[in-house]
Amino acid sequence: MQFSLAGILAVLSHAIPPFLPLILAILAVLVLAQLIARLRGYRMSGHHCRPSAILALLAGLSTLWWLPLMTHSQLGFVATLTDWAALIAAALGVALISWLVVHPLSYLVRGPSRDKDALT
Amino acid sequence: MARYLESPRMDRRKLLKLGLGAGAAGLMPLAGLKAETVTTRARIVILGGGAGGMAMANRLAMRLSGARITVIEPRATHHYQPGWTLVASGLWQPDRTLRPNADFMPRGIDWIRQPAVGVDADQRRVSLADGSVAEYDYLVVATGLQLNYHLIDGMSTDLIGTHGIGSVYASLESATRTRDAIDEWLAKGGGKGLFTAAPTPVKCAGAPIKMTFTTLSRIKGAGRRDAFELDYLTPGTAMFSQPWIDDFLKRRFDDEGIQRRHYYRLSAIDPGARQAEFTFVGPASEFTSHHELRQEEFGREGEMTEVIDYDFMHVVPPMSAPDFIRESDLIARVGPFRGEWLDTDIHTLQHNHYPEVFGIGDVIGAPINKTAASVKAQAPVVEANLIAQLQGQALPARHNGYTSCPLITDIGKAMLVEFGYDNDMAFLPSFSFIDPKEESWAAWVLKDYLLQPAYYAMLEGSV
Repeated sequence: MQFSLAGILAVLSHAIPPFLPLILAILAVLVLAQLIARLRGYRMSGHHCRPSAILALLAGLSTLWWLPLMTHSQLGFVATLTDWAALIAAALGVALISWLVVHPLSYLVRGPSRDKDALT
Repeated sequence: MARYLESPRMDRRKLLKLGLGAGAAGLMPLAGLKAETVTTRARIVILGGGAGGMAMANRLAMRLSGARITVIEPRATHHYQPGWTLVASGLWQPDRTLRPNADFMPRGIDWIRQPAVGVDADQRRVSLADGSVAEYDYLVVATGLQLNYHLIDGMSTDLIGTHGIGSVYASLESATRTRDAIDEWLAKGGGKGLFTAAPTPVKCAGAPIKMTFTTLSRIKGAGRRDAFELDYLTPGTAMFSQPWIDDFLKRRFDDEGIQRRHYYRLSAIDPGARQAEFTFVGPASEFTSHHELRQEEFGREGEMTEVIDYDFMHVVPPMSAPDFIRESDLIARVGPFRGEWLDTDIHTLQHNHYPEVFGIGDVIGAPINKTAASVKAQAPVVEANLIAQLQGQALPARHNGYTSCPLITDIGKAMLVEFGYDNDMAFLPSFSFIDPKEESWAAWVLKDYLLQPAYYAMLEGSV
């Protein structure tokens, strides 16, 4: 049984709507954090904050626990190569999004002086 | 006769689909998006608006210009029946399986909201409950099947949810009451559970096994495994049509301490006493065989019977084509499906005696295939072959018997078992990265989240 690209898109058109509010909320937080921080001088490469990286890492690692639970399952049932590939990809995604949110927020909390320290 | 021309609603999902479709259009050659349109004035009646009927309505509406397409479907609500095992296992809320039929009914077709009560295949007429008739040039039989609870003495659907009786098949309400009956049994803290199988082909043949596994999973989760006894009683030697999976299931049931009893057919129930009578049907009766199901066969004197006490029992009724199909000339007269199922060629899905008639879904006489996944595979075959028949051409498409069972083996993991009746029930995996022989979280997530969207896309004729 094969799915064409159009078929896959048709399936996604039914699969995505229940999660649309959550997706939009995450995107809104992400965009707002980035936008506000950038308006106040934040630049991704110019701001160094180890705690935000650690937080993002923890968020990603926590995905290994809560994502199976959220799907009525458990980490013990993640068994095949495909299972692990999917779960690790999700964990990496969560870690990346978390970092993209927490990193500019840390700039806003700790301020530009910290930024200057990091550059010197 | 109540007839309505439905206008499709432009909801958020359709807007999203338009957006995704526009993106896809840039990636695909135009010819790949849509097959050639055929102009005709033919009257096409689709008998039933379930999975098969709705998929055919959309496919034919897209392919045919000028055709007068009629769908005979009395129900306003569409039920996602593959979700009923998840409802009965307490994992889904019941309303998650409901959508209005109007969401899927294509524009410009004639929707008759009446039950059909008869088919005159020689006169090419379908009789409706209000006494009117619908005449056709081509007929697609997609009625689904009939649940024959009455063939089990003492059993009726009213009993589901009471006296420790569950049955996931009868309706969404029955699936919900089955959940409640299981909850009640688990709350008792112990006892004996019987899980039965039917002596006929059944829709979603994996459902009785899934119900056994999800109930076992809940028992183990409560830490009370030793207090519960589970028996699985089946009329044949096999538990599953696919041989490798059959062996796997037998081993797993043995490992889990679920007692398998073969050659047992549920013949009677005494709900008040919580007793079930099973008739020993003998080694000649196979779960995958299709012997006649005649009412007079049941309760025949001289057969061996055994009465078993239970605290909970999951009942799977005998099944057949609806009575009005069985009483028509469309029913099989010879062969393994005689008297019970639609007489179709299992590869072309064309009726064996009436070339203007095609069958799809649960109603057809086929060795397996009573699943929504089979409908997904059958729909393009019926579409291509009906249009070829309409044009006087040879039938170009062939169904390989594809079916799929996302076989839940525990709450949280499953096997995506895809196979067909060609090549000795060989596996036909859709995804190279999902092994049908492995239990996986990915297959579970597919069952829990992605198969329902795929089902709705199938209804729309998109996959």
